[in-house]
Amino acid sequence: MANRVAIVGVGQTHHRSKRPDVNVPELVNEAVRAALADAQMKMKDIEAVFVSNMEMFEGIYLPDHWIADEDGNFMKPGFKIAAGGTSGIASAKEGWHFLSAGIFDTAMLIGFEKLDSGDTTAAITTATTLAWGKGEARGAIGEFAKQAANYMQQSGATDVHAAMVRLKADQCACRNEYAHLKLGLKSVDDILKSPFLEWPLRLLDFCPQSCGACALIIATEEKARKITKKPVWIADVVSVHQLPFRAGAFCDLDGREPYSEDLASVKLYKRNGITNVRRDIDMAEIYEPSNWEEMFLCEVFHFCEKNEGWKMIEKGMTGIEGEFPVNPSGGVISSNPIGATPTVRMAECALQIRGDAGTHQVTRDVKAAVATALGGPNWTAMVLLKRSL
Amino acid sequence: MAEKPSQEYVFVSYKLPLPYRWAAGKYLSKLYKEMRDHKKLVTNRCPQCRQLIWPPEMVCGRCKVRAGDEWVELSDKGKVVGYTYMVVPLWDPHKGMRVPEEHPYATILLDDGMYVVSRLEEKDKSKLKVGMRVQAVWKEEGRGHGLDEDILYFRTIG
Amino acid sequence: MVGKVEETERFLFDGKVDIPHKYSAGKVGSRFLIEMRDNEKIFGMRCPTCKLVYVPPRSTCKYCFEQLSEWVELSDKGTLLTYAVAHQATPIQPVKPPITYGIVQLDGADTGFVHILGEVEPTQLKVGMRMKAVFKDKKERAASILDIKYFKPLK
Repeated sequence: MANRVAIVGVGQTHHRSKRPDVNVPELVNEAVRAALADAQMKMKDIEAVFVSNMEMFEGIYLPDHWIADEDGNFMKPGFKIAAGGTSGIASAKEGWHFLSAGIFDTAMLIGFEKLDSGDTTAAITTATTLAWGKGEARGAIGEFAKQAANYMQQSGATDVHAAMVRLKADQCACRNEYAHLKLGLKSVDDILKSPFLEWPLRLLDFCPQSCGACALIIATEEKARKITKKPVWIADVVSVHQLPFRAGAFCDLDGREPYSEDLASVKLYKRNGITNVRRDIDMAEIYEPSNWEEMFLCEVFHFCEKNEGWKMIEKGMTGIEGEFPVNPSGGVISSNPIGATPTVRMAECALQIRGDAGTHQVTRDVKAAVATALGGPNWTAMVLLKRSL
Repeated sequence: MAEKPSQEYVFVSYKLPLPYRWAAGKYLSKLYKEMRDHKKLVTNRCPQCRQLIWPPEMVCGRCKVRAGDEWVELSDKGKVVGYTYMVVPLWDPHKGMRVPEEHPYATILLDDGMYVVSRLEEKDKSKLKVGMRVQAVWKEEGRGHGLDEDILYFRTIG
Repeated sequence: MVGKVEETERFLFDGKVDIPHKYSAGKVGSRFLIEMRDNEKIFGMRCPTCKLVYVPPRSTCKYCFEQLSEWVELSDKGTLLTYAVAHQATPIQPVKPPITYGIVQLDGADTGFVHILGEVEPTQLKVGMRMKAVFKDKKERAASILDIKYFKPLK
């Protein structure tokens, strides 16, 4: 009989573009101490540590060995997962499996990235196929520019809609003390004035490179109920991988190839009796590296009908006071420490369910939330978190 | 003796190009040979689902069977389904520097139903249109180094 | 029609991953390096619970997870724990080979300090030998671990 597993502690750093005052282990340590303080636990109570990070971004091989002393992993079991943007949820999934199976009773899940050490776009560019990607030095920016051009055409969304999504994200970020970019944008014109990076993607349409870490402490049911009065239950985790390195990697151009997001969400909803997404789930924290991608993801996660993602922002449905908040933390477009980002998505959902999100707590009562992660190329991971099972 | 640590921050810069040598493998080598010697695109067909596998591979990912040796020649004509162009040059790890790119990049649907990503010859942004017909322009002396070298770009033909 | 795969010539691609990186030493690491550059001093960090002194200094004790802040000035002399000689050249080496490396336990520290050994033939080295740090001239020092040129035997 599988154990029930809950998140009992949450900690994150204040995400920033540069952190010259800490090296990588010290950055991780900040999040770890914050999570231990939140759960009122000591490091000796943690039985295993699962880490998510991409080596190419910091240029240090085996970073989990480097941080072992500072993340409490010295002489403890655990491992690192490098799965692009899905890493945080992938390592959470592993932790959940181990605890469900009864191998450990407590574990820490850590995601981190210190992107002031290298060039993320260049590192992502190394994830290409020999056949054609090698000469195309555009990394994720190129992929999301293609996605934006494609979405504009298919759905009829305009750059004004994209700007509205960016404005909403910034307004949420300004209410979240941990968010990286707090620009204080006043209107869509502020976004439409920003220069192009790679047409049609503007500078403000794309996520920043952030330094940050996030740690979650999970425990099996019996321990969880002793540790906290507000456990956040991990109801289900689903991940789907797709054929990699196709042309148009982040969008399917002819309707033949199913999206990994579609497959993952249908599976998650079916397994958990979710028949009306916006009714049965109260909010979502999704991995959207660009505002155009957020509109598309709302469709493919079935928050709305196909080609209507832009209507959600037009009707103001996705803000903090909205009917179905999406990324009330400011989302990835405001903070993107890649290895930590999916862990932050889970952390933010947990805070919302607990009612502990402070100034960015959503108006709607959150009993169930979904956190998603997007990894290049074409991996999707989703977690369903609930206040009670 | 707990003194406050210094406020001057030290940085350690590090640039070490890591050399690699990648083998294209049996199936991709076949494609590159045809491109270099005959200026043709070829790929293999899965014996089970009968779909073309692109680029050619040993295993059909969908059916999980050996893809085999049924080779098909592809057209090098197609239509543009989406395009972008670079404004800010980005760092290319394969070259170790920022590389500006004057030509737009496009996702092109070849007439056989396969997608390629390649440069477009047309640099005038106002002339770019989704749906325009294009054809590959091959390098005189192919090097067998893949689509981004042996095909210079795609030229508008209609 | 295009020949069986077994008969095709094989294609190899030479490539590289060349991305510049810049690491932050952090507050603690910076002070360690600056003390070497400005004052020719080597500092470690003590854990008040375990009574261990780490050098180079760090912010967390790996055994008890205590947050550390007690700086300790260490001697520039120590005992040689082990050594090896690298003959093969690789791009990342700080000096040309052959390079003699050693781990020296500085007086006052509980950890080994890895560095280059100089002014000595490898055949003359013995585990347990007393060694002393030799710093570069002030104008050559740059807040780097190589501000110490090498460790030499203490006569």
